[in-house]
Amino acid sequence: MVAHSTPTRSLEQRPIVLVLVPLAAALAAVGVLSLMGGSTGWWSLGEVLTGLGHTFGLIENGEALMQVKFELRLHRLLTALGVGASLALSGGLLQGVFRNDLASPGIIGITSGASLGAVCAIVAVGGGGGGLMLQRLPLGAATLVSLSALGGGLLLAAAVTLAARRAGRISVATLLLVGIAANATVAGFLVLIQYGLLEQFEMAKSTLLWGYGNLDDRSTYHVRLVWGGLLAALAFVPFVARELDLLAGGEEDAASLGVNVMRVTWLALLAATIAASTSVAGAGPIGFVGLVAPHVCRAFVGRAHRRLLPACLLVGPLFLVGLELAQRSAFPGARLPTGVLMALVGGPLFFVLLMRQRHELDEL
Amino acid sequence: MSAAPESPSEQSQVVARAVTYRHPQAEKDCLHGIDLALAGGELVCVIGPNGGGKSTLLRLMAGLIEPSGGGIELNGSSVRRLAPRARARAIALVPQGLARLPRSLVRDFVAGGRYSHLGRFGTPGPEDRAAVDTALESAELTSEARRPMAELSGGQRQRALIARALAQDSPLLLVDEPTNSLDPAHQLSIFELIAGQACLGRAVVVVTHDLNLASQFATRLCLLDAGRILCSGRPDEVLRPEVLEPVYGSRMHFGELPSSLPPGVRPFVLPWSS
Repeated sequence: MVAHSTPTRSLEQRPIVLVLVPLAAALAAVGVLSLMGGSTGWWSLGEVLTGLGHTFGLIENGEALMQVKFELRLHRLLTALGVGASLALSGGLLQGVFRNDLASPGIIGITSGASLGAVCAIVAVGGGGGGLMLQRLPLGAATLVSLSALGGGLLLAAAVTLAARRAGRISVATLLLVGIAANATVAGFLVLIQYGLLEQFEMAKSTLLWGYGNLDDRSTYHVRLVWGGLLAALAFVPFVARELDLLAGGEEDAASLGVNVMRVTWLALLAATIAASTSVAGAGPIGFVGLVAPHVCRAFVGRAHRRLLPACLLVGPLFLVGLELAQRSAFPGARLPTGVLMALVGGPLFFVLLMRQRHELDEL
Repeated sequence: MSAAPESPSEQSQVVARAVTYRHPQAEKDCLHGIDLALAGGELVCVIGPNGGGKSTLLRLMAGLIEPSGGGIELNGSSVRRLAPRARARAIALVPQGLARLPRSLVRDFVAGGRYSHLGRFGTPGPEDRAAVDTALESAELTSEARRPMAELSGGQRQRALIARALAQDSPLLLVDEPTNSLDPAHQLSIFELIAGQACLGRAVVVVTHDLNLASQFATRLCLLDAGRILCSGRPDEVLRPEVLEPVYGSRMHFGELPSSLPPGVRPFVLPWSS
């Protein structure tokens, strides 16, 4: 029968390892290439391995300046891997909770809430200047910025979700519209803060640079922050993955199958918010990874979250690091902030996704 | 027979006592003092006009919503106090339809019914796989197990919904309008499948508009109108002009067919414009 050879069937039945192993290999290759190429020129594989050896204390003598440059690249890569995985995981969780493939940390307000929280904290602690901002701040102040980002993300995500919830159900159309309103309001506050800081150049530069979404000049602090958030969010996944599959038929249907719908909804939202907010705290707002990565994953592994979420953890960083590598290779002179690059590529991709989902959107 | 709700008996598996319900923000109750008792092996069909509260009663019995007054007990404990998984092991609900058609394979969809039997991190064991196989076989879907849900016909989708509920392996089965938009052959086979579950000892409640299928398969009918049970009894006690005409109007034709089941004849009712 023709029906027995549909792509959906083969996707759901294909062993997940056959997808994850090639993805992991591709990510490793892109990671090594990204360590080899950077704004300070291309290095050989041997030089990269030497740098790694130094970092892990396997090689003693070496050139100190070279090592500093290498570690900047390494921190940038590790932060990018964590940010890509966090945003993709966050998007995968949110699309499951809201049963809508257009949900993402940006659309429901997590990103803008975390940005507002972070910017308020930056202003409160007196800036820090440029990309090295968190590194230049004392650890307590940097922690305040991170916690403030997390708090902002949690507050706005909870507010948007509660506003879209009526009689125990979340209306997806209302959610997206409330998200637009919340994002617009936060954007207004961010511009207001920047306007108020125009006279203080360093502070204005700090908040403006923050808004671009940037992976340059990262330190071990950023790496720990982003990976800490990612691991914390991952701890929730075993408690929600199977349940998110059952939510596909609606909240009441899932409840009749024994799913504690309220608990799953809030746990998944919390995990998605922790992942995305710590990513914003570590690298500023970077859009579209959380939206696009789960779509790409579904094409390879199907819709079951126990397969989808692990794939997101690899496709998100592959998308982020791969695009950056492609941009640096194609236009070596142009140094685009990561958030800007993602918007330039992710925006048109989002448009394509919208057009492909027209039949579902028209029913909203 | 009118206005004669039955008295809940001791050995019943599920007992609704004086259940009232008011929708959030509504000004009036939509169910008033409903008493209904049901034991294993019984198939009760709830009939009545649209908007009479049939589906709401089913959602209350499934423990999905809280009654405004009274309570529903399953073997002595309130269904609302059961933990979600324990409730799903005890009560299975076949909804009229789903908010969105799942994009999974038929077997994976039916396996969703085993969720309440799995451990927290547990993967399905041999018992779960056997329960899914049995449910697929009962619903005659074994040969469709590897097909995507989206490819099934309306009748097959309804069977898949029932199969998922059967996989829950619960003593109480609640079914909401299972034969809507199905052709007569599929209507019959769906009811045969459901009635078979009652024969296996499950307590079954079916909400339906089809008076004749209800007449043919139910051990008992409950006529629900405007939130009250107007009449409850054997099909030949309920499907009578003096009971139905005040509810449905007089444009109906009543008759009887012989039956192998007690009481020996089964009434039929046809909407008839004359």
